[in-house]
This record gives sequence, C-alpha cells and structure tokens, in this order.
Amino acid sequence: MSVYDILEDWGITNYRIIDKKSIEEITLGASILATGGGGDPEIGLLWAYKVLNEGKDIVMIDPLDIPDDILVASPACLGAALVLTEKPPNEDVLNKAVSTLEAYMGKKLQATIPLECGGVNSIVAYAVAAELGLPVIDVDGMNRAFPELQMTSWVTHGVHASPTVSTDDRMNTTVIDTKDDDLMAESIARKVAMSYGGISWVATYPMTGADVKRTSILNSQSIAWDVGKAVMEARRSHNDPVEQILTSIKHTRNIQGYRVFNGKIVDIQREFGGEMSKGFSLGKVIMEGIGDCKGQTAELDFQNEWLNLRVNNELKCVTPDLIAILDIETGEPIRTDIMKYGYRGSIVLIPAHERMRTEKGIETFGPRYFGYDFDYVPVEKLMAKQEVK
Amino acid sequence: MTEQIRIGFDVGGTFTDGVLMRGKEVISKTKSLTTEDITTGIINALDLLLKNSQVDVSKIEMVSLGTTHTTNAIIERRKLDRVGVFRIGAPATTAIPPMTGWPGDLMAALGGKEHVHIIRGGSEYNGKDIVPLDEKAIMDAAKAMKGNVGSVAITGVFSPIIPKHEDRAMEIVREYLGDEVFITQSHKIASISLLERENSTILNASVKTVMKRAVDAFKQAVADRNINAKLFVVQNDGSVMNADHAVEYPIFTVASGPAASVRGAVYLSGIQNGAVVDVGGTSTDVAYIVNGFPRESSITVNIGGVKTNVRCPDLLSIALGGGTIIKSQQDKVIGLGPESVGYNLVKLGKSFGGPILTVHDIAVATGRLSSKLEIFDTNYVTNITAINALPASLVKEADARIKERVEIAIDQMKTESGLIPAIFIGGGALAVPQFNIEGTTEVILPNHFEVGGAIGTTIAEIGASAEVAVDLALENRNDAIDRVVALAKKNAQEAGAIAGTEEIIDVEEIPFAYMPGKKQKVRVRVKGKVFA
Repeated sequence: MSVYDILEDWGITNYRIIDKKSIEEITLGASILATGGGGDPEIGLLWAYKVLNEGKDIVMIDPLDIPDDILVASPACLGAALVLTEKPPNEDVLNKAVSTLEAYMGKKLQATIPLECGGVNSIVAYAVAAELGLPVIDVDGMNRAFPELQMTSWVTHGVHASPTVSTDDRMNTTVIDTKDDDLMAESIARKVAMSYGGISWVATYPMTGADVKRTSILNSQSIAWDVGKAVMEARRSHNDPVEQILTSIKHTRNIQGYRVFNGKIVDIQREFGGEMSKGFSLGKVIMEGIGDCKGQTAELDFQNEWLNLRVNNELKCVTPDLIAILDIETGEPIRTDIMKYGYRGSIVLIPAHERMRTEKGIETFGPRYFGYDFDYVPVEKLMAKQEVK
Repeated sequence: MTEQIRIGFDVGGTFTDGVLMRGKEVISKTKSLTTEDITTGIINALDLLLKNSQVDVSKIEMVSLGTTHTTNAIIERRKLDRVGVFRIGAPATTAIPPMTGWPGDLMAALGGKEHVHIIRGGSEYNGKDIVPLDEKAIMDAAKAMKGNVGSVAITGVFSPIIPKHEDRAMEIVREYLGDEVFITQSHKIASISLLERENSTILNASVKTVMKRAVDAFKQAVADRNINAKLFVVQNDGSVMNADHAVEYPIFTVASGPAASVRGAVYLSGIQNGAVVDVGGTSTDVAYIVNGFPRESSITVNIGGVKTNVRCPDLLSIALGGGTIIKSQQDKVIGLGPESVGYNLVKLGKSFGGPILTVHDIAVATGRLSSKLEIFDTNYVTNITAINALPASLVKEADARIKERVEIAIDQMKTESGLIPAIFIGGGALAVPQFNIEGTTEVILPNHFEVGGAIGTTIAEIGASAEVAVDLALENRNDAIDRVVALAKKNAQEAGAIAGTEEIIDVEEIPFAYMPGKKQKVRVRVKGKVFA
C-alpha cells in the first residue's frame, strides 16, 4: 500500500508533497524554533535527501483530516550527539522499531508525527514516513526543542511515551513499557542507548488520531515552514530576515513575535560538570547591545536550549516561551552548542502555543523544573509591562 | 647559514607572489599574474627571481610552494581521479550513502556511484567491532575496480579511535590493485564525524594525480635550473611538508594561501598572538594567530560544494579590498562593495583616470597611499586631479565606513574581549586605515607586507599533529599524552622534520560528553625543523 492509497482510504485530497527545497525550508525554520537547541540537523536532512533521491514521496497532511482511530507514533533518535555524527543509522533501523511497536500493540502504524522542532528529530519523521510509505502529520509535541523525552504537550495532556521501542543498527530491540511513568521511560531509554554504543533509534509516543488532535501542537510543521520560507525569501531579496519572520508568522498564523534586542555575545559562562550531572550543557550568555540597543545588556540562561532572557536585569521571556538568537545578516539561528564570543544577532521572542502553557506544562518544563527560582509569566505580559513604562 | 638562500611562492587567484631570501633579508620579490595551469605562473616567477637577484643557484637550500592546484581542480572539476569508495560501517550508516548531498557534476567527475561500497565492519566508540570486517566484500569490490579507478578512499566508522579495519582493508586493496592506484585512509585525513571525514578522504583521493603532476613539474623546473634544494609544499596550518608527502595528502593544501599569510605576518612582525588582516584587491581575510600559528576553524569547511572537516585556518573573508567599489551620491556614501574592479583597478579607478570610485582612491585622497610599491608596474596614482576633486566630506565618510568594516571583522574573530595587536599585510594593506583601530593595541604594517604570504612559505618548519581517543579510566593521563606526542613527532618526521627538532605547539584534551568512563580525545600539534 502506498501513501496515496492511505490518503484515498481516509478521503484526504488536501495534502502537501515535500520536495528538497521544502525540506530545506522546514529544517531551517525548525532550527530557528529550536530555541538554540536540537543540535545539528544535518544527518536528518541527508536522510531525507536519500529517500527523495530514491524517488520516494514525502507527504504531509493536516491533523484535522485524519481518522480518530488510527495509530501513529514518533520516530526519533536518542543518545549522544557525538556518536550520531560518527555512526549514522541503518536505513531500516526505524522500520524495525515501528514493526516491533506494531506487533506489541497489535495494530498497524498509519502515520508519523515529529517529536520536536530542531536537530535530527525534526526531520527524521519525514524521512522515515517516506521509507515506510506513510504520511507525516503536521504536528509535533512542543513546537520547539527540549532536552528530555517527557517534555511534550502529549504528556501534559495525558498521552504517554509508552510503550517506546528502542533499536540499534544490528536490530537489537528493547520494548520500554512504563505505563504512565514518563520519567522512567526517559531514564530507561537513555541507559539502553548507552548499551547500544551511545545512540538509539526509537518509535515512541504511540497514540490515536483522536489523541493527536487533542494533545499535539497543531500545524507546528507549517509554522516552521513559514519561518524557513521567510528567511530564504529575505536572503533572496536582501531584506531583514528577522522582520520577515515576524511579519510572516503574524500574517499567516496570527502569532505576535517580538524583536527585543540586537547585540553581540561578549561572555559565555558555562557551568562545567553540568554535562555529567544532568546530561545538559548549561550556563549563561551575556550580550552587549549594538546599534539601537547600544548601552543595553542581555543575559540568557541556557540548558541545551535558551530558557530565560533578561534585558537590563528585567525579565523578558521565560521557558516554555520561545527565544531565538538569529544572525543579523543571514537569519541563521545561533545554537548553544556552537555559539562563540563575537556572534552578532537579534533576539526574537515567540509565545509558546497555548497547549504548552497549561499548569501541568509549566510544571513539566517551566522555569522551576530547570531549577530557576521564579515563576512563569507569559512573554506578552512581560512585553506589555515594558510598553507601559 | 646566512649565505643560504630560500625561495617561496604564494599562488593567489589573481597574482602569484614570489620571494628570494638570504637569511632574513629579502633579496628579490615579484608579483606576476597567475596562469590558468598555475605551474607556468610559478616557473615564470622563479625565472624572474633568479634573473633579478643573480644569485648562485648552488646556494639555494629550499624552494617552497603555497599553491591552489588542489582547490582549483576540485572547484573546476578538472583532471580529477576516478575514485573507488569504501565505507566500512554496515549495518550502521546505510541511511546516508557516501556522497549524499554532493553536487552532481563533482560526483560524476569522480566516476559516479559505480565503485562506491558500504562494507560490513567498523568500530563502536569503545573499540568493539560493530560487526566483524567483511573481507570478501572488499576483495570482490576491489577486483571490479581494477582498471576502472585511479585512486581508492577508505573510511571506517570510529577509525580515528580504532584504525584496524581501515588498515586491513588497505592491505586487501593493495593485494588486488597493486601499486597502480593511490590509497587514502580516512584516519590519516581527519577526525570524528563520519560523513565529513569520508568527504575529506574522497576529495583527497581525487586530487592525488593533480598534486603528483604539479610536484613532478616543479621538481623538473628546479632541476632544469641546476637548483639542488629541498622542495616543500605549504599545508593548511602554514607550515610546510616535503613535496612527496604533499602527494599523499593533497587535501592538506587547500588553505595554504591564507595560512602562509599568517605565518608571514608572524615572521615579519614577531607577534605570536593577535589578528592578521590580509588585504587584497577584492577581499580581506582576517585570521587569528595563536602561538605563532593560525587558529583552526571549528566548523565544517566547504570545498567545492562538499562539507569536510579538514583542519583549516579559522578565516573571516569580507568583501573589502583595494578595488572595492564605493557607491556615492553627491558627497554621501550609499554603498561599500561587495563589487570590486579587481585587477582592472589601474584602468577603472579614479586614481588612474577611470570612472569608478574605489577604496584605493579614498586611500590616495587621505594621503595614506603616497608612494609606489616596487612590485607593482603602475604608480599608485596617475590622475591626481580626479582625486583632489573628491568632496572632503565624502572621503571622510567613506574612510570611516572602511575603518568600521575592518574593526567589525577583527572583533568578530576574537574569542574574548580585550585589545590585541593586528598585523596588516597583503597587496592592499595600505588601502585601509591603520590608526586608532577599535579593539587593537596597535596596528603593525611590517616591511615587505605586500608579499607576506610568499615570505611565510620560506619558514622552514614542519607542522604535524596526532589525535587519539583515550580512556583515562584505563590509562594514566601522562602516559596517554606521551603516546600521542610520540605519534605526532613520528608524523612530523614523515612530513620532513629532522628527528629531535620537534617542539610541542599545543596539547588539547576534549572530553566526550554523555559517555561513561573517562573517555577523551587528546590532540597534539608539533613543529619540527627542516634544517639542523
């Protein structure tokens, strides 16, 4: 059965075929929404090129069009980034994870859902969908990047990362069934990855079509695509990429983003030992204002991703709202794993989706979960406060 | 010793620079147009140096070459070897076959996908086999390659840690293909990151014949002139390697030009840490000196449309040079570059009676450029009236814009705040402002700045490095470092250094995050002498 048979079966006539240019736009947009994290998306991008080179179609569909009773899951990579760059996956590794998940659940998988925006995982769902002949659904579990498996809108709305099937290139397979204990799923999945040699490939978050509609960040892939297109368009027409992004998401998605700061990185304070204890790279970045912002100072907290922003000691944005630092000329996001002294960028803030801002959400990935001693305040309130002054 | 003579060449896109030195003294220098085949341009420059200096050729002890043969062949997709590709890593890695994402024309120039194989084998990070090496698959593939490829590239997963499968694969390939093919092993080329290392390895394999021909022609030209000197090629850290070694590792020469400029700047200024601003006709390269060598780039290096992890100098190129066009309206500057008149400056620039306002003209108007450089045929200005007619406010504003562009570039290359010395070199060095440059303690404009790169090639130091992954849970730290130092010294000797002259440049220890045990990478760079 091809992907088009599935669409016909569901009566879907409205779908988008993702070509090489589209996948590049989505990858760029997702990297921007990844809030400085997610890592290098290169392996995912090359995998997508490979399936396209083989003539397979990548087809994306709208979540509201899918039947309620279908089974979907998220294919993803979990483990040490360094091992991934040296040992890219076997092309069938996720087919194996998916078929094992199907056998365990007694039901066929009918679509894939991306886990997050940014890095390899943003794109793997597309490549694997094409390898399996399935559609990819225009959603994800956060519309940004976070460092742990349980940090999704799925979990905060009652869907669980269980069962998760974890595989390696030799087709070693582990079923992780932790019922409703998502922290346990995260913990076991990390240890399995280590035993495999540092990297694992998982089929996780099995859920129904109805769950997808109820708990996902809807159309998050389209938002990433719009952002990526805006930057590419700005580069072609020599416009300001940051302005182009803000105009685009306001116009097409009615999302109000903010450009709050233009500056350069003058200090990076990494907290060493953090990688050992938590598996994160963490610390603080100081930016000094340039141009209109001369004389001002911005301070960002990061733990793999940017989490909080203060400008002149005043709080401007708190996790899970989105912070991106974009290169002033190219719009390329500045990632926490490759940032350096002297990088010049504009800081852009984007409100997180409502489904990321629930009480359970703030508990799961708000500032206190990451060890900061203050409460979450929505970015639009923090910005309004400034305007009143 | 001071009687001994060294000759160096620095091939650029427009000009081939040459110098003939006796000790620290520059006896003769030339700047001639680079020819399409490159080699002819170098030989022309050699003859000019010999003619102008009239030195006794028997006194020449060293001739060295910073060249773009390799880079040009890759960029122009010309004269490349057909390459047989082995990746050792299945069942892992098959999702991304070798050369995925390469420009189609470059892949075709290497013979396409016909002799590209993913073989079962390779290692995990902890040294265990992913699976045992599939020797039969290598034999079968090698047989099919006979007569069909000129060069073979072998890349194994985690080979920078455990090269045994690459070594075995090379033995098998040699057995079936004999000495008629070149073989490149990835662990000799680059570090962790399979796809980029594999790309680097395949590119190295593809330019071996190109480099061999260049070296052979160079040897012949030198022999024809009765010069009995050691021959060297500049590598990416600005040091040299003997010419035969360069044939094995041509990919190590792709950034030899900018690297040689850094070494020249160090040599001429005596500064060991600071910025080098190399100003040409169309662009300016800003590099950073760390302990006398160019700082290495930590990001991927794109060669001919292919992402590689070949160690190259960390460079920031900006579109600013002597020929850069300044757009103006009345006495207002409305644009600075990126277009340049290039070597047509002497026809199109205002200083030469032409219609276009350039950075060079502003330098003349401010009085900074006030004498002819001996290596250029044309004087710095032939139409002073046009320059005097420029509005003073325009000159002032343009000069400020040029200065700011240079200041931002220097700042962007810093890794921490604080003031540093900057050395300005290159044919266009006088075209940009030199005083009160923000972020610097001082700007140094050394003698012979206009041929700094060529002078850099004559410093007879061999650079080499070694990189090993170690587990400090199993091995004493000092023992581990000593082991890597010994390996780096051995590599330096292979590249032409005299045993016992090696000095350590730096030792880097990089822990592997997210890994159990105390795994880390140790990288040692050394330099050694060519002459006792």
